[in-house]
Amino acid sequence: MDNKSSLLSRRTFLRGTGIALALPWLETFAVGNPRQDETPKRFVSVYHPDGVGLPLKSDPAWKDWSWFPRGGEQDFELTKVLDVLEPLRSDITIYSGLSHPDARNVHGHSNADQYLTAAPIGGEGPYQNTISLDQVYAEYAGDFTRHSSLVMSTNGGVGGPRGAQTQSFNREGRPIPAMNKPKDIFDLLFVTSGKDAAAKLARSKSALDLLIENTRSLNRQLSSRDQETLKQYLDAVRDTELKLVKAQRWVDNPIPQVDTSNLHLEAEPKEARLYFQTMYELIYLAFLSDSTRVATFQLGRENGEGPHDLLSLAVGLNGAHGLTHEVKNPGGWENLGTYNRYQAEEFGRFAQRLKETPEPTGQGNMLDNTLALHGSASSSFHLSRNYPIISAGGKNLGFTNGRYLKFGTGNEDNQAGAGIDTDAGWQSKQEVEELPLGKLFVTILQRLGVETDSFGGQTGSLSRV
Amino acid sequence: MKRLQTTILLFLGSVCTIPAAPCEDTPISLDAAKDQGRNTSRFRKETAEVATATDEAPKANLTYFQESVGPILNKSCLPCHGPEKSEGRLRIDQLNPDLLTGPDVERWSEVYNALSKSEMPPEDASDYALADADRGRIVDWLSEELNQASLVRRNSKEHSSFRRLTKYEYNYALQDLLGLPYALANQLPPETASEDGFKNSSELLQMSVMQFETYRELGLKALKRATVSGERPQAVTYVISMPEEMSKAKSTKDDTAADEGKKNKRKPRNEQQLFHRETGESIPFPGGKTMPRTDAVVGQTPAVSQVVLVLPRSHELKLDLDRFLPDEGIMRVRLRAGRSTMNPDEYASLRLIFSAHTSNNANFSQTVGERDIPVTASADDPQWIHFDIPLSDIQRNPFRKLETTFPRRDEFLHIHNVSNSHGGEDPLQVLIDHIEISAPFYEQWPPKTHTDIFFESGSRSDEQVYGREVLSRFLKRVWRRPVTAPDVDQFMDLFARYRPGFATFEDAMVEVLATALATPEFLYLTQRATADETQPSSRISEFEFASRLSMFLWSSIPDDDLLKLAEQGKLREPNVLTAQVNRMLEDPRSKRFSQNFVEQWLGLDRMSSVTHVNDNALRESMLEEPVAFFEEVLKNNRSVLDFIHSDYALVNERLAAHYQIPNVYGPHFRNVPITPQTNRGGLLTNAAIMTMNSDGTDSHPLKRGVWMLRRILDDPPPPPPPNVPEVDLTDPRILQMTLKERIADHRDNAACVSCHSRIDPWGIAFENYDALGVYRTHIKNQPVDATSELFNRQTLEGIDGLKRYLLTDRQDQFARAMVHKLTAYALGRPLSFGDRADVDSLTAQFRRRDDGLGDLIHLIVSSSVFNSQ
Repeated sequence: MDNKSSLLSRRTFLRGTGIALALPWLETFAVGNPRQDETPKRFVSVYHPDGVGLPLKSDPAWKDWSWFPRGGEQDFELTKVLDVLEPLRSDITIYSGLSHPDARNVHGHSNADQYLTAAPIGGEGPYQNTISLDQVYAEYAGDFTRHSSLVMSTNGGVGGPRGAQTQSFNREGRPIPAMNKPKDIFDLLFVTSGKDAAAKLARSKSALDLLIENTRSLNRQLSSRDQETLKQYLDAVRDTELKLVKAQRWVDNPIPQVDTSNLHLEAEPKEARLYFQTMYELIYLAFLSDSTRVATFQLGRENGEGPHDLLSLAVGLNGAHGLTHEVKNPGGWENLGTYNRYQAEEFGRFAQRLKETPEPTGQGNMLDNTLALHGSASSSFHLSRNYPIISAGGKNLGFTNGRYLKFGTGNEDNQAGAGIDTDAGWQSKQEVEELPLGKLFVTILQRLGVETDSFGGQTGSLSRV
Repeated sequence: MKRLQTTILLFLGSVCTIPAAPCEDTPISLDAAKDQGRNTSRFRKETAEVATATDEAPKANLTYFQESVGPILNKSCLPCHGPEKSEGRLRIDQLNPDLLTGPDVERWSEVYNALSKSEMPPEDASDYALADADRGRIVDWLSEELNQASLVRRNSKEHSSFRRLTKYEYNYALQDLLGLPYALANQLPPETASEDGFKNSSELLQMSVMQFETYRELGLKALKRATVSGERPQAVTYVISMPEEMSKAKSTKDDTAADEGKKNKRKPRNEQQLFHRETGESIPFPGGKTMPRTDAVVGQTPAVSQVVLVLPRSHELKLDLDRFLPDEGIMRVRLRAGRSTMNPDEYASLRLIFSAHTSNNANFSQTVGERDIPVTASADDPQWIHFDIPLSDIQRNPFRKLETTFPRRDEFLHIHNVSNSHGGEDPLQVLIDHIEISAPFYEQWPPKTHTDIFFESGSRSDEQVYGREVLSRFLKRVWRRPVTAPDVDQFMDLFARYRPGFATFEDAMVEVLATALATPEFLYLTQRATADETQPSSRISEFEFASRLSMFLWSSIPDDDLLKLAEQGKLREPNVLTAQVNRMLEDPRSKRFSQNFVEQWLGLDRMSSVTHVNDNALRESMLEEPVAFFEEVLKNNRSVLDFIHSDYALVNERLAAHYQIPNVYGPHFRNVPITPQTNRGGLLTNAAIMTMNSDGTDSHPLKRGVWMLRRILDDPPPPPPPNVPEVDLTDPRILQMTLKERIADHRDNAACVSCHSRIDPWGIAFENYDALGVYRTHIKNQPVDATSELFNRQTLEGIDGLKRYLLTDRQDQFARAMVHKLTAYALGRPLSFGDRADVDSLTAQFRRRDDGLGDLIHLIVSSSVFNSQ
C-alpha cells in the first residue's frame, strides 16, 4: 500500500524538521560542535494514541490486563501489559495521576497535539498550539549537534489541527512536520552532502558582510548614545555570522559512519515489527553519532484508520484503534492489553540497546544520559485523564528509577474512568484530583540543564520524581 | 519668568476641596464643572509664560530655600520624613536643595506633586498642618526650581528617539512598501510595554540574533509574495449561479417534490432556499459539493436573476470545495447580494468562514477575511461584494493532497449572514444570485506589487543599468531618504555575487532586495548626529522628520508625497505641515494611530487575559469603543475633557444593549446623545475598562484605582513593597465583610495605609459598575456604596462625584497627562525630567486653545521637542 503521506513533497518534510537544507535555514540547522567536555544529555518522547486498557476491578480481565501496576512505590507489581519491562525494572519509572488540566474534558481524539505542549487547544473552533517540551530543549541543546532535533511519526507530516501527526511544535505553536520514511531519515542523517546548503551559506555570508559594512557607515554618523543602541543590532549580525561559521563547519565535517545492519530502510508501518525496530534504531544511531540529542516519535494518529492502524498486526490483531472500542467483546481487554504490551516491548528493546552501549564520550551507558518518555494523552476510552506514562533512563541526570509514582488523590487504584466504553465517560465530571503533567516537564527540563521554572502555564517542578 | 505665584493657591482653594454643606446639597453639573476647572487652570493664566531657554547659565535659588522654605519643611515635614521616621522612604533633610545640579530632583518632583495636590501633610496630622501661605511658598519655589532644572537638563536627555520599529510598525511598513494588505510579521515576538504602557518606547525595543534572523526571513518571504515569475497561473474557479442551481435541483427532484415547490408560493421566511422572486417557486438549498469549472470567466456582470438564494439571519451557505484550491495566492470570493427589506434599523452582513472536518473529533473552523461586509443594497438593485483571502495564511486541510479518502480531504467555505433581522412577516434576509470563487486571483498580470518593484524601463535589457534603477527606487523608499551612488554600488556588488546562482534577474534581485529589508536604516528610526557634537539638541533632518511624523500618525513609513516635500525642504513650513497633518489624519492609515495609541495608553491589552466575557461580539465591541470614542474626539477636534465626561457615547447595537441605550441598530459605532440617567459618557466607564479592571466575578476597586492614577492622571502609584501581607480569606471576620469593608480593613494595616489611601478611593467611586461594566444600584440586595474619601479629605460621591472632582480640581493634571502621554508616544521614548519644561509649555498652549485633541497633534508636531533629536 502506498503510504498516504507520500504526496507531501520531500521538501515539506525537510522544512522545520531540524534537518538541513530547508528554509528558514539558519534556524533549523544546528550550528555548534558538541561540548567535548560534557557528556551529552538526551531526550526522546514516544507517543502512542488511543490510551490503554483500564478494566474495572470487578472485571475478570482486571488482574492481568489493567495497564497500571499494583502495589507501592518500590514493591509494585507489573501486570501482563508491562511485564516485558521487568528486566529493565531498575531503569524505569511508571507514573499515574498526571494529565494536562486544560484537556481533561476534551475528547481523547483531539489530544495528541497537546501531549508535549500542554496548550489549551480545546475541542473545536479556532486552534492555537504552543511550543512542545522537546523543542524547548532543542532550543537549548540544538546548537551542540548537526541537527537540532529529529521529529518522526508513523504517518509523517503535521496531520490536522486536533489530529496531529507530529509531537513537535515550534515557538509559534506551529507543527513541525514529522518524517516517516526510514530511508529519508537515514539519508538526511547519514548521507546528505549539503551542496545546496553550502551555496546558501555563501550567499548569507555575503549578505551579512554587506549589512556589517552598511551598519558601520551608519554608525559613524550617530551620536555616541545612539551608537550604543545600534551596537545591539551589530552584535546580532556578528553572532549570526558566527553561527554561519559554525554551520560551515558542519557542512565540511564528514557525515558520521554508522553500522546499518539493523536497519530495514524500506520497511512500512504495516510491517510493524521491522518498521518499529528500524525507526527506533534510527533514533539510536542519531544519538550514538551525536547527530542530535532530541527526538520525538508518534506511533499512529488518534482515531485510527489508515495503514498505521495496522501496527497491531505485529501481534496478530487488526485495527489498533478498534481495539479500544471493542474492550467489552470477548477477549477485548486482553487484545488491547496485548497491543499495549507490544508497544512496551519495542520501547524496552530500545531502552535496552541504549543501556548496553557505553557512552561514547562520557560516563556510564547511553541510557543513563538519556531520558526516554513513553506515553499517551488518554488512559481509558477517549478519556483525557490519568495519562499512562513510563520514563526510562536518565540516572546521570538525576532520575531515580525502579519506582511507581502515584500522584494526585482519590484514584490510588486507577478506577476513576475505568471500564468506560461510551462518550459519557470522557465527558463526566472529574471526581478525583490529578496533578498537572506540565510540572513533570519542568522537572525534565531542569534536569536536562534548561534554566526554567515553568512550562505550559505550570510553575514549579514535581516532587518525588 | 515668574509664574504660578498665587494661582496655585486659587487652584487649591477651589470649591468643594473641603466638604462644605452647600456643595453637598447642590452639586454643580458636569458641564459647569468643566467651566469651573477651566477658569481656574494655571496653564490658561496669562501670567503662565512659556518657559524658554536662555544663554545665561541659571543658578539654583539656595538663598530663598535657606531663608524661607527650609524652616517650613523642618516644621511640617521633618517629624515624619526625617531621622525619627522616614515614611515613604523619604528623608526631607537629606534632599539636596540644589535642584539644578543636585541628584535629588526626582524626589523633589514627588514632593512638589504631594504638596500641590494637598496630599501632604495628612489631614489628621493637625500638629504639622501647613498654612496656605507656607504651602504656596514651597510650591512656588519648587515650581521655579524644577522648571529651571528641567531646562538645564533638557540638553542632556536620558532617552533617545533612535529606536527599532515595533512589530506592528514593521508590519505596516512592509505592507505599505510592497502593497500587500496582509499580516506579514506574526512570527516576530511581541513587544514589551514601558512604564507608560507604550510599546514603541526606545529603551525596550531590543534586537537579538533570533529577531534579526526572523527579519531576514520575513523580508524575503514578503518580497516573494509581492513578485511573480513566469506565465500567469491557471486559476481554479467555482461558479454558483442560482438559476442553474434551481434548474439542477428541479431536474433531480422527483415530480412530487417539484410540484410541492410550485404549490408553496408564499414568501419564504426562515428557510434557506432557492427562491424565484416572481413565481414564488422555492426549493431548499443548504449548499453542498461544487466542482471547479475550467470554462469559467470571472469578473463578468451577468444579468440580475430573479432566482436567488435566500439566506436568513444566522444561516449560512456551506460549500464543499473538495480539494482543488491551490496552496498559495489570493482566493477571491465575489458575490452579488441584496437585502429583502430596507428597514434602516436592521442590518445584515456577510462573514466568510473556512473549515475542514478531517475525521470525527478532528475539525477546525475559522473566520477568514478581515471583517464582515455589510449588505446595503436592495435586492432589486443588488451590489457586488468581494473578499480576498490569502490561502497560505489560513488554516488549510493538511490532508487535501492524499490519494486515499481518509482522513477527509475536503475544504469548506461558509457564507454566513450576520444580522439583527427582527423577523416577523417580512424578515430581512440576504438574497444572493451569483457567487464566484477563484484562486489564485490577480487583478492584472504581472500584479501591481510586482511592477512597482520591477517597473517598465528602456534599459530593461541591460541588467547592470536596470539593476541600478530598481535598487535606487527601492532603497529610497526603504530608507526614507535619497540614495547615493555608493549606496547602490554596495548592493550591485551583492547582486553580482548572487546572479550566477539564479535563473533570472528577478530571482537574484529579490534576494538582494531582501538584504536591504534587513538593514538598520529600514529597521530603525535613525537620527544622524550633526557635525557639532556640542549641540546635542539639534533639529533632526527633514527626512528624519518625515519618518517620525509618519510613524506617529500612520505607524509606518512616509509616502511619496511626504518624501517629496522633505526633499524640497518644505515639509516643516507651517502651512505645509498643517495641510500634511490634516491629510494624514484623513487617510485611512491614521486608524492605526487611534488603534495603537488608545490600546497602549489605556492598556487594553489586558482584555486579552480576561476570561469572563464569553460573548465574542460583546468583547469585540468593548475593545472598539474607546478607539471609536478617541476617533470621534480627534475627527471633530473636540476637547480632551470629553474623555472625562461627555453627553454622548460611541456605541454599536451590541454595546448599546449592554448599556441599555435604546434604538441603536447595526454593528458600526456611532455618536449617540445620552442623558445623565444612562450613567455613561467619557472613557472612564467604558465596558472594556471596567471589565479588565475586575477580578472576573466582581469589580476590583484597587485595579481601577491604579488604572485611574496611571493611565488618566499620569501619577502611577509606587509598586507594592515586599512582604505585603495577603488578605487572609480564611479568617471568618474578614469573610463576613463586604468588599469595601475588606479594603478598608486592609488599609487600616499600618504597612498598607500610606499607599492604599492614595489608590483605593479612586476605585471605590466606580463601585456602581460591575465586572462587565454594567451599571448597578445594588450588590446582593444591598445598595451600592460608591462613596469614598481621598487622601486629602475630598469626598467622591460615586462616578459623578469622581468626574466632578477631576473636572474642577484635576483638570490641569489630566490635560498635562494627555500631553505627556501623546508626546511620549509621538517621540517613541519615555519622557524624563529634562522634558518637563517642554511638556509644560505644550500644555499651556494646548489649554489656551481649549484642549482640542486635533490641535494637540498639530502642536506636538511643530514643537521643538518633536523636531529635536
